[in-house]
Amino acid sequence: MTAPLATSLFDLARTYLERQVWFHRAIAGKPEGELSLVAADVLRHDEPGLARLLVARGSQRFQLLAGWREATAVGGVLKGRESALLGSAPVPGDGTQGVLVYDALADDDLLTRLLALVTEGREHAERVRRVATLVSHASLVFDERLFMKCYRVLEEGERPEVEMMFRLEAAGFAALLQPVARWRGYGCDLAVVREFLPSALEGRLLALTSLRDLLAHASGTDEQGGVGSLGGEIDPDAETASAGGDFSAEMRRLGVMTAGLHAAMSTAFGAQAAEPARVAKIIAAGGSPRLAALGEQIGAAAPESLGASIRVHGDYHLRRVMRAERGWLVAGFGDDPLYASAKPDPSLAPRVGSPIEDLADMCFSLHRVAAEALAQRPASEAEVAADLAAAWERRNCEAFLAGYLRSPEVQVLLPGSSETVELLLTAFGAVRAHRYEATPSAR
Amino acid sequence: MDADPTPRNGAPLLVPPAANLSLPAAPTWRSLADDPRWYQKAVFYELLPRGFADSNADGIGDLQGIIAKLDYLGWLGVDCIWLLPYYPSPLRDGGYDVADFYSVAPECGTVDDLAQLIEEAHRRGMRVISDLVINHTSDEHPWFKESRASRDNPKADWYVWSDDDQAMSDIRIIFCDTESSNWTWDNARQQFYWHRFFHHQPDLNYENPEVQEAILQVVRFWLGLGLDGFRLDAAAYLYQREGTSGENLPETHAFLQRMRKEIDRDFPNRMLLAEVNQWPADVVDYFGQGDECHMCFHFPLMPRMFMAVRREQRFPITEILAHTPDVPDGAQWGIFLRNHDELTLEMVTDEERDYMYAEYASDPRMRKNLGIRRRLAPLVENNRRVAELLHALLLSLPGSPVLYYGDELLMGDNIYLGDRDGVRTPMQWTPDRNGGFSQADFAQLFLPPSMDPVYGFQAVNVEAGLRDPSSFLHWLQRMLAIRRHYPVFATGEIEILPADNPSVLAYVRIPEEESGETPVLCVNNLSRFAQAAEIGLGRFEGCVPIELVGRTQFPVVGSGGYFLTLGPHGFYWLELEST
Repeated sequence: MTAPLATSLFDLARTYLERQVWFHRAIAGKPEGELSLVAADVLRHDEPGLARLLVARGSQRFQLLAGWREATAVGGVLKGRESALLGSAPVPGDGTQGVLVYDALADDDLLTRLLALVTEGREHAERVRRVATLVSHASLVFDERLFMKCYRVLEEGERPEVEMMFRLEAAGFAALLQPVARWRGYGCDLAVVREFLPSALEGRLLALTSLRDLLAHASGTDEQGGVGSLGGEIDPDAETASAGGDFSAEMRRLGVMTAGLHAAMSTAFGAQAAEPARVAKIIAAGGSPRLAALGEQIGAAAPESLGASIRVHGDYHLRRVMRAERGWLVAGFGDDPLYASAKPDPSLAPRVGSPIEDLADMCFSLHRVAAEALAQRPASEAEVAADLAAAWERRNCEAFLAGYLRSPEVQVLLPGSSETVELLLTAFGAVRAHRYEATPSAR
Repeated sequence: MDADPTPRNGAPLLVPPAANLSLPAAPTWRSLADDPRWYQKAVFYELLPRGFADSNADGIGDLQGIIAKLDYLGWLGVDCIWLLPYYPSPLRDGGYDVADFYSVAPECGTVDDLAQLIEEAHRRGMRVISDLVINHTSDEHPWFKESRASRDNPKADWYVWSDDDQAMSDIRIIFCDTESSNWTWDNARQQFYWHRFFHHQPDLNYENPEVQEAILQVVRFWLGLGLDGFRLDAAAYLYQREGTSGENLPETHAFLQRMRKEIDRDFPNRMLLAEVNQWPADVVDYFGQGDECHMCFHFPLMPRMFMAVRREQRFPITEILAHTPDVPDGAQWGIFLRNHDELTLEMVTDEERDYMYAEYASDPRMRKNLGIRRRLAPLVENNRRVAELLHALLLSLPGSPVLYYGDELLMGDNIYLGDRDGVRTPMQWTPDRNGGFSQADFAQLFLPPSMDPVYGFQAVNVEAGLRDPSSFLHWLQRMLAIRRHYPVFATGEIEILPADNPSVLAYVRIPEEESGETPVLCVNNLSRFAQAAEIGLGRFEGCVPIELVGRTQFPVVGSGGYFLTLGPHGFYWLELEST
């Protein structure tokens, strides 16, 4: 079997893209323009066939993987995924009815072949599972051990999350879902494959488990000793420290891992002294009088007193880290461009900055999780539960910071004085709190 | 129903009333099959001869007492009895200070009694192994008495002597609560002797070929009597060398391999179970290439089961399983919840130890060396659901389960007794005098039975457990019976399954391809609250899960995640039948 003509595929692709939510999100707010075909590469001639189409609309490029088979074979392949059908296309010189073309991401057989292609034959899988998301890429899990992101909406140059993954690995940072393969073409990252750890869980779920254990004490009927019914004074800090589900040891380990992350970031991308004026600007841009005052205080700091400026994670919270059997891992660098606009102000999350920004992010994340857990408790327990949640947040934030700040590898990145560390933590924390109050649905 | 014990020394044999307990019909499936790998499928039951049953009313449990209880153990589902030391001993370390390797302590009976116990157990399809202390002896052992007498007697080099107590100072002190050095000065010989444990337990010198041969002779003697194997006490410490940790040395492995070789040659179907309290990566070396010990205890798993339940999340367990290497063909882990020693915390981090002390040993009296000296029931605050969950884990994780006497009743402990005696109080058979353990006067008893209002023998005893069909005892007996029908629990591979809820631990036991068995899915809720979880069962798409206790059919496994809800500390064992 030979392939349909590129023009036939492009005609079908054009109609198909118009039906896709992710396509419309990607072009939203951008100037009108015609779709054009940048490239069409046939990756596989035999049935099932596979081609990679690169389509552009203005400066925005898209990748569409098109598969095709004889019409009679397609029904079974696309069962339950009929919306992936693009249409029929003639095959030059074939003389028959041609083939049915569809989004190759709907064909398990083609996906396992794609994995072999992307990994240059190093990896093979028997099963593939799609992680359903309407975003700029398709997420695919192979044999529950490999994870592929196949990008639909492309970015020129190196995609930051992919670059970060490979650079950190090269810098010897192991607390990472290990990268396996990178598929590049036309100056873009087209797909990336990394390990998949089925039993790993995002940090937020572990934090909620710990909070559930603790906040149950507020009910007064908990078999592990309620405090709510005692009527007397309680000591939330002592209660939190003695809870079975205490999370502080995990947070301390997360702090140590984070220190390793920053050390590797500085190795991979370099470090320079943070400029007080620039840091002050970031703080003050928050917009409140308090932030303006903090910004002023920081702006007046002596040069080189604020520690280093490095490539930071920039969106570091409990959903971005995972707990696996080998410890805490950075699970992602979260730069889905389609969601960037949902952030209140992307300029407030610069990719180069003080490592303390990431720390403030994580501490604020504890606050958010505590609020989430509190919302699930009945109103009658609210007062005691709030005290316990606040104590939980304090204890775990302290443990996280202790794990980080005592790690030898980040000492060269930190401000010389603990007062300055404290000031920066306060300031960056205030930025996050202010942003959250301004737009509670931000995350 | 009970054996007909023969009176010895002319004294009337007083069988405790509990011996006449009416037991439900005993299962008939057990037989002493000629299976060289019987230990892989066996359920072990560890008991203290002095604390189990007293047949002659002297206040001390004995071998005849055990014989009288064999039907009970058979009914429970025990496959192999592990006897704690019964050798003559000054009892300064629970009998692990052996003063004579070739006889039975008079208060426990005679060598003939042991032969009878083995025979009676075998007749019921059960096997018997015993503790063998090969690292050291009591300082009252004739070998040591001779060795210390002079520097040139025939046994002068049977122990490790030195003029210097600074040698091998890097080697850790295990009983750090009581010992300040691994060397003790001997006035008679005017030298220091080496001991890894108490100062009254001098280590044998395995560099001396005569010592090796003497210990192998002891092994031959007991196996010749019919014992089915040994639990090798302190197997990691046989040799010591300057500049090393004194643990797991190649010479130690070489000697154990020699012992195995001799046993395989002369005593088929016997087994060695090593007590090596080390990380699994080091312990697997004691399996050799399948030519050293048949079984090893998996020490680090046990505290992590407790930790996982207390934290209500699975990582303590999945982490240690991830760090547990595969074992050679024919080898098996021994896993347990509690035993005669403290709940050992040697194989946890300092941070984890602090956590375990805080959660499970709030009273300093509960702590011992690097561990917690408590029985299972008090450890879990007598929570029946937690006890069931922990046993469900014990019976379904890879390894042969080792039960500790009395834990099938949820017996309590007595933290006010010295050393580890708190977890070695007499077995509680009935609500009668001394809990049915002995007809001696209370003051004569080797240790007082528990009379605690919650755990005391008046409330917690075999008779009560047998009468109550919903007792923990009956529950455990049923679970052991179910487990027996599914050899995959014993020899299957384990695969941890993804579950989106940290409080849920799901794994599948996968049989060997040609066994014809079906995989069994085990799902455990580590939380005291009801939980829901989506479990990744993709590779079992199309299978029908069938719950093993009630044979209830669950919805067929589809292509996506499999949703299950579990009650507080609930668990499921689900056979995955192909359609």
